[in-house]
Order: sequence, then structure tokens, then C-alpha cells
Amino acid sequence: MIKDISVMIAGQAGDGVLFTGNVLAKILKKEGWEVATYRYFPSNIRGEPTHYIIRASQKKIFGLGNEIDVLLSFDCESIIKYTKLIAQGGVVLCDGEELSRLKPTHKKGKAFHKFPLKILAKKHFKNDIFKNMIALGALCYILDLNFRLIERIIINAFLKRKGKEIVRMNIDAVNLGCEQARLIVEPSERHKLVKKMDTGKMFISGDEAIAVGALAAGCRFFAAYPICPATEIWQWLALHFPEFNGIVVQTEDELAAINMALGASYAGTRAMTSTSGPGGSLMMESYGLSGMAEIPIVIVDVQRVGPSTGMPTKTEQSDLNQWIYGSHGEFPRIILSPGTVTECFDFTAKAFDLADKYQVPVVLLTEQDVGQNSRTAKKFDLSKIKIDRGKLLSEEELKNNKDYKRYAFTSNGISPRSLPSMKNGIHMVEGNEHDEKGYRDEDPENRIRMMQKRMGKLSGSAKDMIPPKLWGDKQATVGIIGFGSTLGPIVEAIEELGDLNIRAKNLQIRTVWPFPVETVRDFIRSCEFVFVVDNNYSGQLHDLIHSQVKPEAGMQKILNYSSVAFRPSDISTQIKRAVRDA
Amino acid sequence: MLKLEDYHHQDPTWCRGCGLYGLFSAFKKVAFSLKIKPEKMSIISGIGCHGRLNSYFNAYGFHSLHGRTLPIAQGVKLANTQLSVVAVSGDGDAYSIGLGHFIHSLRRNVDMTYIVVNNRIYGLTQGQTSPTSRMNFVSPSTPYGSKEQPLEGLQMALAAGGSFIARGFSGAPQQLASLITAGMKHKGFSLVEVLSPCVTHNKIDTYQLFKSVIFDVDKDPNYDPTNKNKAWKIFSRHGDKLPVGLIYKETRPSFEEQSLPGRKPLAFLDLVPEAGKIEKILEKFE
Repeated sequence: MIKDISVMIAGQAGDGVLFTGNVLAKILKKEGWEVATYRYFPSNIRGEPTHYIIRASQKKIFGLGNEIDVLLSFDCESIIKYTKLIAQGGVVLCDGEELSRLKPTHKKGKAFHKFPLKILAKKHFKNDIFKNMIALGALCYILDLNFRLIERIIINAFLKRKGKEIVRMNIDAVNLGCEQARLIVEPSERHKLVKKMDTGKMFISGDEAIAVGALAAGCRFFAAYPICPATEIWQWLALHFPEFNGIVVQTEDELAAINMALGASYAGTRAMTSTSGPGGSLMMESYGLSGMAEIPIVIVDVQRVGPSTGMPTKTEQSDLNQWIYGSHGEFPRIILSPGTVTECFDFTAKAFDLADKYQVPVVLLTEQDVGQNSRTAKKFDLSKIKIDRGKLLSEEELKNNKDYKRYAFTSNGISPRSLPSMKNGIHMVEGNEHDEKGYRDEDPENRIRMMQKRMGKLSGSAKDMIPPKLWGDKQATVGIIGFGSTLGPIVEAIEELGDLNIRAKNLQIRTVWPFPVETVRDFIRSCEFVFVVDNNYSGQLHDLIHSQVKPEAGMQKILNYSSVAFRPSDISTQIKRAVRDA
Repeated sequence: MLKLEDYHHQDPTWCRGCGLYGLFSAFKKVAFSLKIKPEKMSIISGIGCHGRLNSYFNAYGFHSLHGRTLPIAQGVKLANTQLSVVAVSGDGDAYSIGLGHFIHSLRRNVDMTYIVVNNRIYGLTQGQTSPTSRMNFVSPSTPYGSKEQPLEGLQMALAAGGSFIARGFSGAPQQLASLITAGMKHKGFSLVEVLSPCVTHNKIDTYQLFKSVIFDVDKDPNYDPTNKNKAWKIFSRHGDKLPVGLIYKETRPSFEEQSLPGRKPLAFLDLVPEAGKIEKILEKFE
């Protein structure tokens, strides 16, 4: 019985790879499977190879598996490139003439079939756009999926927009694909999936989950500039904000985006901006303004491959240092890193409370892998969200205050905030160093006190931060530390190591800053081997742990800067080798 | 009862004779004549000598970053449409480092007033050439003379779709006050450029010089500020001379009228949505 399956759909950008894959993912989800998708596409609209992996499992999964069981391609290029990933017993359908280029040794134990998708589409429907539905029909046959579900999806997608005739043609195309696959694929080559019940889960991307989290947390102002792979956050908010009286502004650049959000937040609205690395670089100066002027803001960075323009649609974790150390001068900041779509939702909502409570910028640091790929998740628990705006004064509270000080020195450094329009609350907000009322002040004594006030705000904050999460066997002495999107491959690598009798555990860092020094130190002390997983070149998390924890024992880096997300075996193989060699 | 002094927070420390004094007193008079309560005003300034204006004025003030006054001011206005929002910039802030925001704010048309104090020099950093300095202007940054054409903010504003474009002179505070008043009453983005001598660093663009090169369109009975063609022509009608007064005005809906019609300020919304509303949207993900 198949417990875990990965289907790759490949072709050229513009072939409808994403559409085909999304329909397949929805069917699998409706049949009760855990689903995780993985988009690998060029920063281009048409031409250039692209692929989409849909993985379904009976257990909880967060990302890619190691192999591909079924590959359907609209051309031959991807087949040749990914032959190595195809599992023994795997089946390949390919629309192209170049299968002969494959060496027989590469084909051993795998079934390759020529499948003329475009010719069939043109012959039967006079339009090669139907190749996608024919492909879906073939996949439904190979995977033994429920045709009713695909019919329903077609009706939902096309009936209103395109009418009955188009619906009929699409359903015919699915049936044709199924029939043609029956003629080509041997019964033994099929990968029949056991049907289960739809458990009512959601199928959602990290970007969408962040948008939902922001809406639920009371964010009502969003400003951004288009950038891959963060734009989906904005597009979801742009669609849904109006019915909650919120506003989305498309700004002229990222400088305007963050500053407009700061203006809105200063005036009292929960505000957010989202971007990726290049936009983050542009926002650095205002990141510091948020820290200096103590204006809450939530900044989302959906990281992509850098530096510079890098690879806009591919995943990486190389902006960590930028947010921890970035911008000139020193100011407090909080950086959260979700590992799952559910955490994207939870942490975004939490980010607004933290920003309000500590009056600091809060960065939600995620990656293209989590942001743009969809996964099944339990329905979000909206009842958990309690909006806490921290020390935000009301006009009533200011009534008898004739000497209000916006930046009053307090025991924990956090000063009650008034909003423009409130009587008795008038103050200055300064990017310059300022006194308790906010007015420019260059006195060294005041400077020292103000620095201590701001920098001290997070000193007692550990209780409010999202603690690291331990995964795997607590007693294990092989320890892995990671953050963000590496969670899935790490957790699966632990299972693979378990099969080899190597017991391992993972500490998932969820608040990257302020760094959870004690927990990480205890974790490292409980291990004989420590591996730090970084989706970047230099080992930014590794170096962060090194500088913050100063561990006695050495740690080994597991790095990936290939632009392709980690697969579990990338991690387990390296750990196996290190542990066995020791 | 509001008094003129209610808008005065502290005495300015600009150089004696600085054009900003004229603006400061005109601006206080405007707020007083419009009877805007100090707490209902938000003044956002950039970096430069002008940037001190809001710390002398009694209202909510935000002394922001160089070039970023406009996005911050628009954020404030959109968050609370009941506030009177005024942004103040210098020529460096508006026409150099913040130029992108300038153009886009004009076309976005958020209901706020933007005062650009143009002294044709970088005063606070000790007198370097600015984007409005004339050709061959000699300064510490261009000791052999500037080789770049000066930039004409108001013509750009007209091209960018500005709905209220005016120019005043700090040596004529009465007209300046009436232009700012009209700008603040205008439903949309109002731009008021102020020719304002820097008495310390700019020995060329003096009160005397400005007086000799300006002509007042407000006093021209044949001038019609609602006629865009006339507005274009006025910039070149008298050779190198500079028009002051209300140059162009049109009526079109503000950004927030279109995107936030008749709503309570965002800043004071009840953030808890009615039960089941978000859940309903989430069904799309099932």
C-alpha cells in the first residue's frame, strides 16, 4: 500500500504546469491525503523549464520527499534532467520525441512512455490548451483518483466563467486522458492510492496564511511594492481588506511602503508591509526609524535567493543577518521565523501583539519555500487570537494629564502611547535622538538614558517570545538546529536516521531574535553531535549560535545554497556520514 | 476659545532673517484662522532646516527621514482621515532624495497639504548645491560651478497630475498664508512651494532677487487657475520670471474618498470582526 507519493509535473513556463498541479493537489487533499507542493519555476512568464511537485502522504509532511514516483512532462527536457530523482518502479509520461536520448541504464526499473498530449488535444479539441486536462485524466488513471472530484473542480472553475460547453469539453478531455493512459500504462505500473475521507483541512500557502493572520490580528493598513515571492500576501489582502474596512496601498517603491505603514501605525492603525530581500535592503533606514521612534510595525520578508536580484522565484535563508544586524545604529527588534503554514498564521498574529507591546519593528522572516508552496493544515484557530495593543492610551486616560511624555522613562522602558487627535497627547516623534516628550535632544546624559530605555525594552521579554520547539526523541544525542522552512526536511531526516538506528532530535528556532540563548545552550549540552542546518552559504544560523551561545563543543554546518529546497536525504546523509565516521 | 499662541510651542532658532520665519508665522495664522485644534493636526517634516518647523509648532509632529515625509504623511492621513495633515520639506527632501514620492503623491491625490520650502541650497549641511540651484552655482560641493540644470518642481507637479499647485514667497507672508489656507481647504493633495531665502549660505537667491523675479498670477485678472493650458503657458510667459500665486487647481476625488468612502478612521476601528466572517472566507481553502 502506498503511504507517500510524489508526482512531478514538468514543462516550459506557460504550459499550464501550475494549473495542472493545483488541480491534482486539490483532488488529493479532497481524498484525505496530507499534501505539500513545491513550485520550481523561472523568473519568467513564458519559455524556460518549470516543474511542480505534488507530494501526498498519510503522515504529516511539510515539504519535499527524496524521490519522484510519477512524472508527467509536457516536454522532454525535464525528464532528462530529473531522471536520477525518479524512484525505482516510477512511471514517466512524456510529450516529446527525445526519450531515446536516455541511456538504458538510466531507465532501469522505471517505465517511460511517450504520451502525445498536444497532438491529442489538437486532434480531439482543436486547441492544445486541453493538454492539461488530458494530463490530469492520465494522472487520475495512474493514481486511481475519484473522477467525481475532478468533475466538481472543473464545474467550479469553468461553469460560471465559461459556460456549459467548456465544462463538457474539459470533462471529455479528462476522460480521453484516462482512456489513453489505460492503453499505454501497464496495470503494474499504476500507483493506486487508497481513498480516505476529506478531513476538512485547509490547503493553503504560507503567504496566504500570513495574510489571514494579519487580517485576524486586526491589521487594517497594508502598503507594499510588487516583488516575488511575497506578492501573494498583498493580493489576498487587497481582495479581502475592503469588507473589513482596511486599506491596501500599492506604493511607488519599498521606501514608500514601509514609511507609509509607519505613518499609519503612528496614527494608530495596525500596519504591515511585505517584501523580499531586495525590498528589505531598501527598507533598512526606516527599519531603524521604527526602532528609534518606537513605532510598532510588522515587516514580512519572504526570502529568495540573493544577493542583488539573485533568483527571484527560488528559496533561500540568506537575509537572516540583514534583519538581525541591519540598518545603521542600534535598536531593539524582534524576528520570528515560522516553519509551517500554521505557524505563518499564528506568528503573524503574534507579531502584531509583540510590535504593539514593545513598540518595536517585528520581522516575520519566511522563505519562498514556505511562502509560495501550499500545504494541508488544520483549520486555523481564530479563537486563539486576542488582540492586545499594549500601552496604547485612550483619550479618557489622558484627560487629566497636563504633562504627557510620549517617551517617558519607565521601569521596563516601554512608554504609554497617545495617538494624533487625542487631547493632551501632543508630542513629537523624532528620528533624531530626543527627550521624553520627543523633542530633539543632543545632551549626552539624555542620550545614555534613551539608549538604555530602548535597548532594555526586550531584556525581560523572553516570556512573551515564541520558544524553540523540540522535535524527535528527547534522549537522542544527535542534535539538529534549524529555523524556518528547513523544518520539514529535518523532521523527515530524523525519521530516516531512525531507520538506520541513529537517534536524532531537532530544535526549531522560532524566535530568531532576541536569540533564545538558554534553551539552545541546554540543547547543545545534551548532544554529542550538533548539526546546524542553514539554507545559505555561510551558515548564518550557525554563526549566530556561535556568537550568542559560545558553545563548548563544535557544531557542524549543513548548508544548501543551490536554490532548490533541502530534501530530507541531503540532511540525513551528511549526518549519517559524520556520526558513523566519528 | 483657540488663540494664535495655542499653535506656538517654542521660539525658533533658525538664522536671523531666514525665510522659514515667514512660513512659520503664516502657517500658525492659517491654523488659527481655520480653527483647527492643535491635537487634530499632524505635521510631518523631513531633514533640513525646515525639519524643525513642527517642533516649534504646537501640534502632533513627526520629524522623519530625509526624503520620506510624503509616504509617512499619507500613511497618517489614511489611518485617520479626520486629521489635518501637513507635510513640510525642503528642496532637497522634495526634489532630490524624495522625488519619487513627490511625483506619485501628486497622482495619488491623498487629501493633505505639502509645503516645499525652496531655498535653492542645502542649508543644514552648510551650503551645498541643491537640485534647484542655478547653472554654474558655486558652492562647497561645486567649487567650479554646478553643471546641472535646476529642476522645476511645479512644472513636474503639473505634469504628474497635481490637483492643487501654488507658489508663495516667504517675503510675502500674507499671500503665503492665503495659499496655504486654500491648499488646506482643497479636497486632495495640495502643493505649496515657498521661495525662501537662506540668508546664511545662499548669497545669490536673496529676498531682493526673489522680489525682482516673481510675478503674481493672483493679481492677473486674465489668469484662470482652472485652465491647464494657461498653467503650462504661465511658466514661460515672462521668460525666466517665476509665477507666484495659485497656478492650478482642479476638482477630482481624493484617493481616500475612492478607497475609504465614508468610513470611521482606521485608527479607531473595532478590530474584532463579527463572528464567523473570517471563517467564511477560509472555506475557500477547503
